[in-house]
Amino acid sequence: MRTLSIDLTVNGEARHWTIAPGDLLLDVLRREGYFGVKRGCEKGECGACTVLLDGNPINSCLMFAAQAESREVLTIEGLAHEGSLDPIQSAFLEHGAVQCGYCTPGMILAAKALLARNPHPTEEEVREGLAGNYCRCTGYLKPVEAVLAVANAQPTGRRRRHE
Amino acid sequence: MFDHVEFFHRPRSIPDAIRLLHAGGSRARVVAGGTDVVVGADRTIRTLVDITGLGLNYIRRDAGSWRIGATTTIAAIEDCTAMRNFAGGIVAKAAAGCGSVQIRNMATLGGNLANASPAADMAAPLLVLDAVVVLTGQGGRRRIPLAEFFRGPGQTVVGKALLVEVIVAAPPRGGRTGWSFQKLGRTESDISLVNAAAGIQLDAKGRCKWARIALGAVAPTPIRLTKAEGLLAGQALDLALIDRVCEAAGREVSPIDDVRASAEYRREMSCVLTRRALRECASHAGRQL
Amino acid sequence: MSNTVVGHNLRKVDGVKLVTGGAAFTDDIDLLGLLYGKILASPYAHARIRRIDTSKARRLPGVHAVLTYRDVPRVPHTTAGQAWPEPSPYDTYLLDSKVRFVGDRVAAVAAETRAIAERAIQLIDVEYEVLPAILDMEQAMAPGAPVIHDEPDSTKIYDAEHNIAGYILREIGNVEQGFREADVIIEREFRTQRQQHTPIEPHITISWLDPDGRLVIRSSTQVPYHARRQVAMILQLPVSRVRVIKPRIGGGFGGKQEMLLEDICGALVLAARRPVKIEYTREEEFYMARSRHPQILRMKMGTKRDGTIVASQMTVLATTGAYGSHSTTVQGNTGSKVLPLYRAEHMRFECHVVYTNAPVAGAFRGYGCPQGFFAQEGVVDELAHELGMDPLEFRRKNAIRLGDIDKLSAQLGEGKEGLPRVIRSCGLPQCMERGAEAIGWGQKRAAGHAAGGTLRRGVGMACSMQGSGIAGIDWASAFLKMNEDGSFYLQVGASDVGGGADTVLSQIAAETLGVSLDQIVITSGDTDITPFDVGAYASSTTIISGGAVRKAAAKVREQVLQVASRMLDTPVEKLTCGENHVSTVCECSKSVSMSDIALHALYKEKFQIMDGASHFNTDSPPPFCATFAEVEVDNETGKVRVLHLATAVDPGTAINPMQAEGQVEGAVAQGLGFALVEELLLDPEGRPLNPNFLDYKIFSAKDMPRFTTILVETEEPLGPYGAKSISEVPINGPAPAIANAIYNAAGVRIRKLPIRPADVLEALKAKNQ
Repeated sequence: MRTLSIDLTVNGEARHWTIAPGDLLLDVLRREGYFGVKRGCEKGECGACTVLLDGNPINSCLMFAAQAESREVLTIEGLAHEGSLDPIQSAFLEHGAVQCGYCTPGMILAAKALLARNPHPTEEEVREGLAGNYCRCTGYLKPVEAVLAVANAQPTGRRRRHE
Repeated sequence: MFDHVEFFHRPRSIPDAIRLLHAGGSRARVVAGGTDVVVGADRTIRTLVDITGLGLNYIRRDAGSWRIGATTTIAAIEDCTAMRNFAGGIVAKAAAGCGSVQIRNMATLGGNLANASPAADMAAPLLVLDAVVVLTGQGGRRRIPLAEFFRGPGQTVVGKALLVEVIVAAPPRGGRTGWSFQKLGRTESDISLVNAAAGIQLDAKGRCKWARIALGAVAPTPIRLTKAEGLLAGQALDLALIDRVCEAAGREVSPIDDVRASAEYRREMSCVLTRRALRECASHAGRQL
Repeated sequence: MSNTVVGHNLRKVDGVKLVTGGAAFTDDIDLLGLLYGKILASPYAHARIRRIDTSKARRLPGVHAVLTYRDVPRVPHTTAGQAWPEPSPYDTYLLDSKVRFVGDRVAAVAAETRAIAERAIQLIDVEYEVLPAILDMEQAMAPGAPVIHDEPDSTKIYDAEHNIAGYILREIGNVEQGFREADVIIEREFRTQRQQHTPIEPHITISWLDPDGRLVIRSSTQVPYHARRQVAMILQLPVSRVRVIKPRIGGGFGGKQEMLLEDICGALVLAARRPVKIEYTREEEFYMARSRHPQILRMKMGTKRDGTIVASQMTVLATTGAYGSHSTTVQGNTGSKVLPLYRAEHMRFECHVVYTNAPVAGAFRGYGCPQGFFAQEGVVDELAHELGMDPLEFRRKNAIRLGDIDKLSAQLGEGKEGLPRVIRSCGLPQCMERGAEAIGWGQKRAAGHAAGGTLRRGVGMACSMQGSGIAGIDWASAFLKMNEDGSFYLQVGASDVGGGADTVLSQIAAETLGVSLDQIVITSGDTDITPFDVGAYASSTTIISGGAVRKAAAKVREQVLQVASRMLDTPVEKLTCGENHVSTVCECSKSVSMSDIALHALYKEKFQIMDGASHFNTDSPPPFCATFAEVEVDNETGKVRVLHLATAVDPGTAINPMQAEGQVEGAVAQGLGFALVEELLLDPEGRPLNPNFLDYKIFSAKDMPRFTTILVETEEPLGPYGAKSISEVPINGPAPAIANAIYNAAGVRIRKLPIRPADVLEALKAKNQ
């Protein structure tokens, strides 16, 4: 079987992977032990496989691993800092936004990226930001509340220009 | 799923990309965002040619036109201030409604058009703006009006060429212009069961100097409603005219039944969305109906 | 004295690992030598396998096992995760020589990679004798219809020759007489669709042989104990040679109240002598897992002029698909949980459940109630309108009350005679009141409907109830043992499938023992380690499993007090547990910590403080729900936008109110999907048309209306700390509330689900003619 090598950064650490040319990023990440990246539909619909690629949320089930060469990938495992939960992770716990937890890693990453771009989103913008993460447990109410709570706890800055 | 893929190429120049595509023959496929290639799960693919390294990710002004590189992501189009201010923002609005943020971060304009879904949201506003697709291949560069680009569901004239750019003409100047993009889906993120884009330009007397109407998901390809447009030419824009245009729209479409909607419903909604689009255009153009 | 743990919004005990992506779900393990299993699915809705040749598949390098019906024992069973003896037909086989729906099992392989497994199933050569298929449930009993279950060894099928999996008829009083006495009668037909659970984690099972040769099954299941029993029976192993482990589950909603992949996975393990993983793709999950029973319901209700209901009658035709999993029990619920919501002297429920060559139906949150309440609440609304009464007032007048006895339930237990149900707690009146206030019932119902342009607004309501555990059948056990640091290991067979059962059960234990939540370490759902539990279904976990936990904790508390009594030289009656200590209640204020008590017991007295208990109830106290919807109807597109959905629920005590709200919101979201967009469609050959998320839509964060969630707590004597249940009942309200709101807004009645814009448009046109 042909293989190729790629170098990338995952959760801040340099990684050197040997992959098959047709390998998908989701499969390689899970094979490499990043179990927090979930398989839900393999068609880019449910968002359970969401990771951040150079800070942008993408469906890792739709990306060829080879395309991750020289890129920075952030999975849920890379979010907490030295044992300390990210504010979004804490907020999800505090607001009861986690039920089965299967959609949770993808949703938290999508929220992380949203707040990085837009630290004070409206509720509508939060819903738009999470629209690519299906959840069958929560009805989305508490996750949206959790994200808004994190946003409201941040120091007020300039709002995003288009809203 | 793609265990039969033998080669994953990441060329740095367009000639290299074209050469690799030809070398791979019928089993070679272009990939950019992956949102269609991966979903398609075509097991015959042996060679993938990743074109995201060819420098085709740009949105540039060129005199009055805009040139959008083929691997520009839908998210980049949505976020682009210039696109939001251009032609009533209908291109940016269509981009904003494509899938989810995750999809928009990967999906490219070239990929969306080359995939040739009859429901492709990007197609309708680009048809209204007389977009031109630029292909390059072993025979050199050629330009094809978007209206001639689609051949059928999933079929385009691309062949072995590479779609490198989409040129969006400057909309008419002078006089009042109005623009609209509308879509209907079962849910907020659904593929359109009907989408519509329209643009008009009125003269000082409120007569249509220029009009474009394009619909998606109601024919084998996204289409411009040239007959319906014809009814608007030179006419004073009022509710009665809009009604006639909508009726004509209903006759110009050829929708099918599928899991999203019936043909009959789509035909009716073609009328409804055309009416709504024209009313929105009129409103932007300052015409009270 | 108020509770310190129960009733508080404490964080989920498994929360941190879920938000950090901890390796907690079935697939989050790596096993040496793991093989990938794959099922060859039937392309035909109805066919016999005339010839099946697996030689090419077996020869493919990397293939370790190929199974057909010839290679496995033929043991008739049901896949329904129910207490033994299951009330569902034993009409299913591990592998069979006949296939009965597109997606039915033909063969299975285990290979070294997914790619090889997928290739291997393509190499299996099958010659089918295609048989005529039944897809229309209204044709299933017709003379001359092809017989789907013509095999001689299936049992418990009501009438296989006529494709009737089950038949139910129950009556109290005499409805004929009742209708004669009625002044107003409304009779209407309703239709509900095939809805799929779409858990974000599809079904998945990983199985292996442990060093003792025991079959270990790690599976995404709601019913580890039923699965163990059924797998043992099917693979002809002693139960003691099978272990089922339930890790974190990515959603179940009833779809995993089923022994679905465990048997075939186990069979592949036994054949290959290697660990095997079988996971459904999303596509397979849509039509090869389970879905909600489609129903045609005729609802008839008669009242006096003053609005008193005298008779109610429901006649149902349902299809269970190709196999009878949950066939009589779901439909039994459609009658037994729905009709008694309103007092009536005469009630009748009749139901035929038929086979069709379609994807198999099974348990799905609400379990027959969503269909039933869609019909009943629609007729109730029409009656109220006919009588010139406010629908809220009509319901207030007729709804079941505290102290009432529901006699129909006595007739309709889980597949057999049930027990009469006494209403010992009932917050329904307050639910109606508070929900009505939240939606603005008074103002919005009466006001004009136009909302500008083509939009019209309206409000509608629906009431519903459910059960809390199955009376006399659901039961659970719990075991507690104490550690040196004063913590307790809580072992329960209960299955937390995401709703927070582990947390709620830990809270009950902590409250009873007088310790903080972090002092409870819970293990759940491992048949080797945890005591028995029927599993997570019928809204039983809080009340039944919680009841067992309460009992076990009470016994352990007694032991703790005895030790403390000796340590403090104070009689037990003068001691109390609280704040991780045992203290005296008198002024002497002596106390000793839980950890000191544990150390003393373990190392001085030389015994471990531990005990267990089992629990069941002989009644099933209903949670109550009042749902109010405000909608906006676009009369040009027929699109219905839900503006606001207010749900008021009486769950008894909410052990963890935040988790309880979350359950309400999730159930409502699924109810919204049931009402407006979800439907698994089949083509004329029985092939699924939309087995993916692009074509089968569920709602995203962008689609949700404004939600108001109201908990109306009551105190239920049969529940631990007064709890009943909450996880199913809210799913029943959205569809009828929205249908009734559409009537208020636009004057049309939609009696078919999902409510599609095209249907609303058609109804509007018909009305305007």
